[in-house]
Amino acid sequence: MIDNPYVPLLFFMTLGLLFAAGSVGAGQLIGPKKANAAKAMPYECGLQPSPKAEEGGRVPIKYYLTAMLFIIFDVESLFLFPFAVAFNQLGLFALVEMVLFVITVFVAYAYVWRRGGLNWD
Amino acid sequence: MGYGIEEKLPSGILLSSVEEIVGLSHKSSMWPVTFGLACCAIEMMAVGGPHYDIARFGMERFSASPRQADLMIVAGRVSQKMAPVVRQVYDQMANPKWVISMGVCASSGGMFNNYAIVQGVDHIIPVDIYLPGCPPRPEMLLNAIVQLHKEKVRHRPLGANRAAAAKRAEEAAMAAVPTQLQPATHDHGGYVGKNLLA
Amino acid sequence: MSTLLTLAPEFASVVALPAADVPPSVPRADFSDTPIWLSAVKALLLFVFLLLNTLVVIWFERRVIGRMQNRPGPNRAGPFGLMQTLFDGLKSLFKEDVKPAAADAFLFTLAPILFATMAFVSFAIIPLGGTVNLFGHQTPLQLTDLSVAALLVLAVAGVAAYGVILAGWSSGSTYPLLGGLRSTAQVISYEIAMGLALVAVFLYSGSMSTSQIVEAQRNLWYIVPAFISFVVYVITMVGETNRIPFDLAEGEGELVAGYHTEYSGFRFAMYYLGEYINMFTVSALATTMFLGGWHAPLPFNLIGDGYFDSGWWGLLWFTIKMWLFMFFFVWLRGTLPRTRYDQFMAFGWKLLIPGTLLWVMAVAFIRGAQLGFLGDSSIAIAGREIPIATLIVIGVLLVAVLVVLWLWETKMTEREEAAAKAADVPEEIDPYAGGYPVPPLPGQRLREPSTYPALPRAGATATVVDTPTVENKEA
Repeated sequence: MIDNPYVPLLFFMTLGLLFAAGSVGAGQLIGPKKANAAKAMPYECGLQPSPKAEEGGRVPIKYYLTAMLFIIFDVESLFLFPFAVAFNQLGLFALVEMVLFVITVFVAYAYVWRRGGLNWD
Repeated sequence: MGYGIEEKLPSGILLSSVEEIVGLSHKSSMWPVTFGLACCAIEMMAVGGPHYDIARFGMERFSASPRQADLMIVAGRVSQKMAPVVRQVYDQMANPKWVISMGVCASSGGMFNNYAIVQGVDHIIPVDIYLPGCPPRPEMLLNAIVQLHKEKVRHRPLGANRAAAAKRAEEAAMAAVPTQLQPATHDHGGYVGKNLLA
Repeated sequence: MSTLLTLAPEFASVVALPAADVPPSVPRADFSDTPIWLSAVKALLLFVFLLLNTLVVIWFERRVIGRMQNRPGPNRAGPFGLMQTLFDGLKSLFKEDVKPAAADAFLFTLAPILFATMAFVSFAIIPLGGTVNLFGHQTPLQLTDLSVAALLVLAVAGVAAYGVILAGWSSGSTYPLLGGLRSTAQVISYEIAMGLALVAVFLYSGSMSTSQIVEAQRNLWYIVPAFISFVVYVITMVGETNRIPFDLAEGEGELVAGYHTEYSGFRFAMYYLGEYINMFTVSALATTMFLGGWHAPLPFNLIGDGYFDSGWWGLLWFTIKMWLFMFFFVWLRGTLPRTRYDQFMAFGWKLLIPGTLLWVMAVAFIRGAQLGFLGDSSIAIAGREIPIATLIVIGVLLVAVLVVLWLWETKMTEREEAAAKAADVPEEIDPYAGGYPVPPLPGQRLREPSTYPALPRAGATATVVDTPTVENKEA
């Protein structure tokens, strides 16, 4: 009766959203509110908090590298999903193609490994 | 200074029911802040172990961040250098919050009668329960927690009831006879002229 | 285009693939008798089911960990402490909701809402049972089914990572920022291996629709043919949900409470809730992908012509299987310490990802051989027709595994020998050889410095602290 299978998904997401937003909103209404200067400061184990860096501060470059590598492998799995689903219909051709593709990815992977891109320190 | 809507209810059966639920939930789920200052902290950790098991009261979730904590157990002597930190952590805890002063050093300076130690943590933060001992046994800490639940948490008055309770306490204090005018509780005369250390 | 096709005939055959060529696969869940109001009711029921499960699991975790550590666990709040989670939630509601001055007001509130909402969404595609009669309609015990259902779970997990990174960033504080970054890096790293592990399942089922995957496992659960995928998935699901031993984002000793350090009250409760619902989601997905979903386990599916393998009974089997995974989570927490972050990342990037990729290719070859892509001739072994290509592929894989094991063992032996050599200690040492007192190692004799001349320089090893200056002085 429902043509679009995403409609129930939308129902469910709305329920979740209503619950989360509603309870967070209720949390704002209920409960004492006693502000003081220390409470408004960031928590740093009771010490004076380090000043906030300009423009959000710098973060270790490793996280950036991880994000880049993630893109590579995520796109790779993006190719693997349709390949796996349609494997029955594609035949030997797709299998050979995928082997070549994975070999290409492994070349890049070996390069990144040798250059120390996967070492955390 | 502000209160939530639950404290703006008129005094009556509704407010008492809310008080009941609030008291019960705070009593049943009181998360201590991860915070130990000295040797008493070892006894505090023992309370988490199998022999004493603070988890029975739903309190084993020690909260690393004071934002999520309800109870501060000042376990150990507070040095002058540590005092601002203790105060900061206490201030950053979200209300409502309670404090147990664990051990004689935290309560009064104890054996450290010197310039380096705060002579009682109540100089810097309000204390709900003083727990004697050097260090107190884990059973004593459990007793302090149960007493705290009983006296301060379970039936904590809210809103109009809180104001009424404060007023009653004020009136009782005003009507009380000063200590000097009260009759002596025991006889000091019998000791006059005796060397008590002999 | 036509010249291209003549140039590459194989390509032409793929492009010209007729739709009728699709093999008649297992049926998908039938939603034709599900009116839209029933979908809404089912959404509500599923929501309540999830919340109830969460209420129980937090109590369950604390009790079971208590038993594992020889203590009773929470037992004061209600019978057996069952109300513990409820009181935790109520307490959070009655607690002050602190927002630090440096926090970004909008994102600070949005992040927990996003996290909790996304935690719920994935469960919509999980099949909880067979087709049942609900309010006079024949409807499957599944909210909805998509042809990309499994992909949706991964996508939603990706969006949920925003809830974490936004919480870290918007708090305007150092520890949450670092915790949020760590957590996000961890989630995305393990998401790759998780996605790759699922590819093996898709290869077998030929579909990403969860109802089809479950139906395809009626006879054989995918844990058997895709066992390595199952192991990888179980590891990554722990990394994905930030649980011990991979709860590095919340390592109390280094990051206070990670990304939710500045959260209190009900905004924090949303993270608390979302974390447990995420655990349910990954457990439910593991059940669906590898343990046959709602299908009855072995002795029960043979009884009474599949009576226990249909309808509402499915809900029972599904819940049992999902809770087995929840118990596994708790068991891990009661057993293992936290890993180090660099070890954790190295494990993910250097072992799980390439290993899973190789495994997926191996599965592709086995599957290709089964489907006859590598030749049609077959051989009869013990009355069963087995394609020769399958045997060849499995043989090649076995040989490859043996070669890798042999290489690895050779390397480890070499390393051990080198270590033993490095640890070789002389029988006698001069305790003042380098000018500093050096205690003898086990099995070593002390050489009295006053009665014997100093040991020759060549005999000095790593155990003897020697500084050139002292050496010169003695000379």
